[in-house]
Amino acid sequence: MKTGKQIIIILAISILAGLSANAINPKGVSLILDKNKYAPADTTKQKQIPDGFVNDPYDTATKKTNKNMLGYEGKKNREGFIEPENITVELAKNLFDRNALFIDARVKEEYDSSHVKNAINFPYEEFRNKGYNEKVEIMKRYNKDGIIVVYCKGDKCEMSIDLAYEIAKLGFNSVNIYKGGLKEWKAKGFPTQP
Amino acid sequence: MKEFFENKYFQIGLRVILGIIFIYASVGKLFRAEDFAKAILRYEFLPIYFVNIMAIIMPWVEFFTGTLLILGIFKKATSIIAMGSLVAFIIALSSAFARGLDISCGCFSLEETSSKGDIIYRIIQDIFMLIGAIIVFMFSEKKKIQEPESTEVIN
Repeated sequence: MKTGKQIIIILAISILAGLSANAINPKGVSLILDKNKYAPADTTKQKQIPDGFVNDPYDTATKKTNKNMLGYEGKKNREGFIEPENITVELAKNLFDRNALFIDARVKEEYDSSHVKNAINFPYEEFRNKGYNEKVEIMKRYNKDGIIVVYCKGDKCEMSIDLAYEIAKLGFNSVNIYKGGLKEWKAKGFPTQP
Repeated sequence: MKEFFENKYFQIGLRVILGIIFIYASVGKLFRAEDFAKAILRYEFLPIYFVNIMAIIMPWVEFFTGTLLILGIFKKATSIIAMGSLVAFIIALSSAFARGLDISCGCFSLEETSSKGDIIYRIIQDIFMLIGAIIVFMFSEKKKIQEPESTEVIN
């Protein structure tokens, strides 16, 4: 058999095996990457925050609706959850000033060394590996209609994106991804601790 | 030198080493397309539309190439695929290094963290593998000495 044909056979078998493995894999991916998920924040599509708005991350008495605390009604995607939005550093700071819940997706050691002031820490790898009920249990103390901002070290770090999607899938209405992360936050001189 | 490269046992040894490396590189990624896609994404090299397709298929190409290299089936074809893959890896790694990207290689493990020095090490490793694949391609099948066509004498 000619070499060219052999190459085609090997590649065809690989494609078939890859597609089959992906189809039966519960953690399989779509054939085309979700472009919006990994795109940078669109500065022209940033939320407007009403004057006087103050977020309450712990107000679990709030009735669960599709509207978040800002009054925006999110549109559920095919998987039945409201997709997180990418936000700019300006909006992140604005939401920080309005008491949004900041979640740091990095590992504990990195979080302990420095993080956005008052941010809480959900290391992505640990969170991902928890069962659904455990995730619900962890998140039940937080306001589902409240504003959440997830970040990690900087724009090359996808942990913030993945953690944001994990949280959004639990029914949280306004999960935001701040891709600039701690690197940009610090460069701007915004509050960190310790 | 040519005779050494054509030596049957040298060829088998080379194919087995290359095959094992290819299989080792693939097994951790076969069922982890999501994580591998992110590793590819960090290179900022492929158009975003091809990232998932590559993450789904590439580990299986590596796996079958490695297996066939070890078994000595389709030697020319597998060595061509190996050469193509390695050239692509070298270009992607060099490009990432030149742009100063602070990325994990994603070559063998999806958990590893790497520095720029580590990327150079991977590039050198891939160059050696590429040389190995070229040797398999060029010397795996000895050229048959053409026998002169039989001439019948017609009386």
